[in-house]
Amino acid sequence: MIFLTVIARLADGLPLAASIQEDEQSGRDLQHYQSQAKQLLRKLDAQSPDRCMLEAGNMNFCYFISQGVCCLCLCDASFPKKVAFGYLEDLQNEFCEQYGKRVPEVTRPYSFIEFDTYMQKTKKSYVDSRAQRNLSSVSTELQDIQRIMVANIEEVLQRGEALSALDTKASNLRSQAEKYRSDARFLNTRSTYAKVAAVVLVFVTLIIYVRFWWL
Amino acid sequence: MSTAGFNSQNGTGTGQTYTNGPSQNPVALQPPPGVGYGMNHQPAYNPMQAKVLGPPGPPLYASGPYQPVPPGPQSGSYPVAPAQPLLTRPQIGVLPSHTPPQSASPVPGPRLAQTTPPAQATPPPPAVTSTSYYTGPPAWQYAAPRGPAPNHVNPAVAAPPHMSHGSAQPPGPGAPPTSIHGYPQPAPPPMPLHTYQPNRPAYGPPPTAPPTMKPAAPPAGPPGTTGTPPPPKVDGDVAGNGPQAPNSYNHVDTRMAGAAQPGPPGRHLGHYPSLPPGYQNTSAPPPAPLHPALQAATQPYTQGPQPYQQPGGPGPGPAQLSPSMAAMSLQSSTPEALRVVNLLQERNLLPSAPVPAPTPCLTQDLQKLNCSPEVFRCTLTSIPQTQSLLNKAKLPLGLLLHPFKDLSQLPVVTSSTIVRCRSCRTYINPFVSFLDQRRWKCNLCYRVNDVPEEFMYNPVSRSYGEPHKRPEVQNATIEFIAPSEYMLRPPQPAVYLFVLDVSHNAVETGYLSVFCQSLLDNINALPGDSRTKVGFITFDSTIHFYNLQEGLSQPQMLIVSDIEDIFLPTPDSLLVNLNECKELVQDLLKSLPNLFEKTMETQSALGSALQAAFKLLSPTGGRMSVFQTQLPNLGVGALQSREDPNQRASAKDVQHLSPATDFYKKLALDCSGQQVAVDLFLLSAQYCDLASLGCISRFSAGSVYYYPSYHHQHNPAQVERFQRDLKRYLTRKIGFEAVMRIRCTKGLSIHTFHGNFFVRSTDLLSLPNVNPDAGFAVQMSIEENLDDMQVVSFQAALLYTSSKGERRIRVHTMCLPVVSSLSDVFAGADVQAVTGLLACMAVDRSVTSSLSDARDAMTNAAIDSLSSYRQSVLTIQQPGLLAPACLRLFPLYILALLKQKAFRTGTSTRLDERVFAMYQLKYQPLAFAMLMIHPALYRVDDLSDEGALNISERTVPQPRVLQLSVEKLSREGAFLMDAGLVMYLWIGRNCHQNFLSQVLGVSSYAAVPEKLCFLPELDTAESQRTRALVSWLRDQRPFFPSLHIIRDESQLKPHFLQNMIEDRTESALSYYEFLLHLQQQISK
Repeated sequence: MIFLTVIARLADGLPLAASIQEDEQSGRDLQHYQSQAKQLLRKLDAQSPDRCMLEAGNMNFCYFISQGVCCLCLCDASFPKKVAFGYLEDLQNEFCEQYGKRVPEVTRPYSFIEFDTYMQKTKKSYVDSRAQRNLSSVSTELQDIQRIMVANIEEVLQRGEALSALDTKASNLRSQAEKYRSDARFLNTRSTYAKVAAVVLVFVTLIIYVRFWWL
Repeated sequence: MSTAGFNSQNGTGTGQTYTNGPSQNPVALQPPPGVGYGMNHQPAYNPMQAKVLGPPGPPLYASGPYQPVPPGPQSGSYPVAPAQPLLTRPQIGVLPSHTPPQSASPVPGPRLAQTTPPAQATPPPPAVTSTSYYTGPPAWQYAAPRGPAPNHVNPAVAAPPHMSHGSAQPPGPGAPPTSIHGYPQPAPPPMPLHTYQPNRPAYGPPPTAPPTMKPAAPPAGPPGTTGTPPPPKVDGDVAGNGPQAPNSYNHVDTRMAGAAQPGPPGRHLGHYPSLPPGYQNTSAPPPAPLHPALQAATQPYTQGPQPYQQPGGPGPGPAQLSPSMAAMSLQSSTPEALRVVNLLQERNLLPSAPVPAPTPCLTQDLQKLNCSPEVFRCTLTSIPQTQSLLNKAKLPLGLLLHPFKDLSQLPVVTSSTIVRCRSCRTYINPFVSFLDQRRWKCNLCYRVNDVPEEFMYNPVSRSYGEPHKRPEVQNATIEFIAPSEYMLRPPQPAVYLFVLDVSHNAVETGYLSVFCQSLLDNINALPGDSRTKVGFITFDSTIHFYNLQEGLSQPQMLIVSDIEDIFLPTPDSLLVNLNECKELVQDLLKSLPNLFEKTMETQSALGSALQAAFKLLSPTGGRMSVFQTQLPNLGVGALQSREDPNQRASAKDVQHLSPATDFYKKLALDCSGQQVAVDLFLLSAQYCDLASLGCISRFSAGSVYYYPSYHHQHNPAQVERFQRDLKRYLTRKIGFEAVMRIRCTKGLSIHTFHGNFFVRSTDLLSLPNVNPDAGFAVQMSIEENLDDMQVVSFQAALLYTSSKGERRIRVHTMCLPVVSSLSDVFAGADVQAVTGLLACMAVDRSVTSSLSDARDAMTNAAIDSLSSYRQSVLTIQQPGLLAPACLRLFPLYILALLKQKAFRTGTSTRLDERVFAMYQLKYQPLAFAMLMIHPALYRVDDLSDEGALNISERTVPQPRVLQLSVEKLSREGAFLMDAGLVMYLWIGRNCHQNFLSQVLGVSSYAAVPEKLCFLPELDTAESQRTRALVSWLRDQRPFFPSLHIIRDESQLKPHFLQNMIEDRTESALSYYEFLLHLQQQISK
């Protein structure tokens, strides 16, 4: 079952089209996933892998990036991967054909919300289990389907946070090392002074000794 | 103290009426809006409050206003309440003496120099401050005791103190601002100047000067980050001090000087007492303005600022407001609004043209930017400084809004960031002040905010660095295209679901064919885009769904007879895309009227049908249009007839104004949560219990249409009205999943809302749909004294999804002056707005308490405000019923309300019609509600082109508005009465032959048909003029008033005569008698 579909611009994560949740039952608790999807779209950039499946609890996010447009959908964990990506690719092609040229210009969110009509129809044909069998021939053409990266949504969303944590840890380490170094140097000089002082003391005693007892 | 006393006198909770059903409120974690405020806060002036403990006589308020009573059982939990008296007293007592009317004195320099040192409790560099004081003298509230300003020694100042002593007020505090005289008087807390100074450093420099952030201002970011460069987000908000101060001073002065200059409060105090005592008795009618434009020109307040109108933009230069100029304006302004009118002696008070809204007493610059009164109107265009002043005036304080009005011109802004105040989330508006290029100060909470980088660029003039020239800062009404942060979910498509009654009774009325034809005609004009969806449900004792799936050869009807546990027979294809399935929809509409032609089913399962429709719409939200023709009598939500026809005319209380079941309200709240609005069309001859059914629309922000005695053959006037209303309804603009928030300057608080909506949190109205014909009203109270402000602002922001799937925010901002004297409060009263708000309050009151209570309360509102005017403002006591000119129509409007369908007693009124009239009073925007309260009467047999309007090559004659009295009628004439939803054209028995033949096309009076509902299209000048007038009147409103041409013998003549408000009827007083009654009560 596909719950949520969003098409967004890759550059800034601006949502271009989305499918309204039709199902009353699941519609309620999708709020959380929706905000996750928003965050995810903001994180994605040209460096991200262009096909990826992200696990989020008992749901999966699947996204597909091409031509500066990212198609994202949320589906059941049990939903076949092949079909999900077939669906996304289908949307992607149609969307780019219809609106591809205007994508970089728009500023308003959901500028192409009218694409929703097509999305819903496509979704219906993919979700319908009888139709799936017919589609399976199509989806086998996806050669690299096996190599789709799978990651956890939390990891992806928190990747930035982990890096910054690492960064702070590193800088902490660095400052501590510097402190150690200065401390060590201080200790060093102190012991040098002690040594010199001892030697001087010995010499002075020696001189005094020689001066008063031998003369 | 006095406030607490007032509160307990009035009986706090009892009168708190309109709470939007907090018990059902699933989201409300806050205390319910109405009740919570009423219990804890300062008492608002609420004439509708039940007088439980009050004296038994008609006056709602104890006649000695606000005797200090030991603090009542005020809840101790609210911290401000006990502290309030301590705080307010010194301010009331002492402060006015520092804000004499002559604040714009010609010699401010030396005096200011004297007073500044003690006021300098705050850091700003002295050199800078002193100059800035000179630049904005009018803004200067803090004048020393009267200097030798010869122009301003007016005879009036001495008078008010006597008044205040004479009346039963607490001595000292609360006295009108009578400068010297009030100051040394041995009032209990005659605090010397410096006793409160340290506590209130804000008084020092002009109140708006930025470096002295008011102590109560919201946290202004971390301290000590003065000189930080702009980019850091947090630090930039710090109140400017140190190096930036000089700069900001200039800026504030330029802006705020403008704000303050207007009519210095109380400046005309001196004028009216110097009038010759006999002035009021002159029989000359008030200078009746013949034309709105003329009227505007003679508006008292606009005159003042005119002589020195600024050539520049919103920021007048500091030098322009020279004190002497201000003094000149002081002299020249005539207090027309305060001219004393003896209502018992002056007969012709009704202006001959529609009453225009009063202009707030602001500078021209601010007034030019201010929001249109059609959108935003306040009952008091001068806001009193304190709650006690407001209580003394006995006028309700509130706003009347028409936020989604169709506007011919609306600037729309698309930008990625919408600039809003960081603490109170106010949208930037024309009344904020720019401290410098990079910072602006919120006019609602006074927080200093950064100007974001994008805002520096002005897309209109394509220039950089002029944030104050941006459209947001130049328009009080503006629309933003919202970025994605304003969306919880993708914008919903336009979804329309029609729920149609097809029982035998409904088919009899023949509405179905009219509806289907209307929808067929307008199907392409339904607002929406390619995603628009439609669906249909019909019901009698069962529910019928229609499968309109693409590819079907014809619509498929699915019948669900299990109405106890309703379910949807198929998951999809009940709501279909209109574009893809248009042909099927058209097929259905063509066949629907015939489908049920022979039905014998008389029962109606409306409740189940509504539940089914809700299930169908809840995933997306949308609009549900319900057509009902009889009392629902099957399944959930079944109702029983509660009307006793014999009681229709009783003079006793009217029962059953409140809903019989909460089923409809609960369902409406569920709908509201799923962004579904329900519009109810009630077409019925019998009683339908609109009081219960109406809840479904009221709480889901829908609208109610009522067509009594609808029948396709017997009542062609209703059919035409239904047709026209449907056309407008189907094609008008619509906003989905909307919310509206109304904010106001700190110190004011909104406590009660009127209209159709659901209050989701204290100030957030949930409007699943918003339509351009809906009006709203709110009541306000003053929680903190406004004494260091010259102006206050109100902002209504409406966030909605357009039918094209855009999320938009429409923002209206209004700015009003603050005044400190009672006479100024009266001078700024907007009598129509006051009447409109009182009507809303009375509707609530009659539902929660009783109709007679509401009627008493309305009468008392008139008595109280006029007696307060007489006691506290008038200096010379004269016989007669005296009212300020601006309130001269108040008793008339109150009488009109008492005789309105909603509130009248003793005249046969059907319960449904009464309830519908109540709904209309709360729902209609003020302009239309006023027509329903006080109809307009024109003589139309002698129309001429003199003074006519020219609208798109059509000449519309503008006849005089006549008083609603039979004495104005004549048998030789023909008169048109425009009562909002209906118009009557009354033909006199001896009417000119010319009129009969040229306009009506009949040969003689006897030949006028009994039931004539339209004017024949004759090719004569008279006919064209009359038709032009009627259609012009009709075009001005969003609903269609039916026209009835009546003769003396017509059945409708009693209806016509019932609208003759100034005349006596068997059960109600005439206008003159009502005035005598008022006078008697006032002088008691």
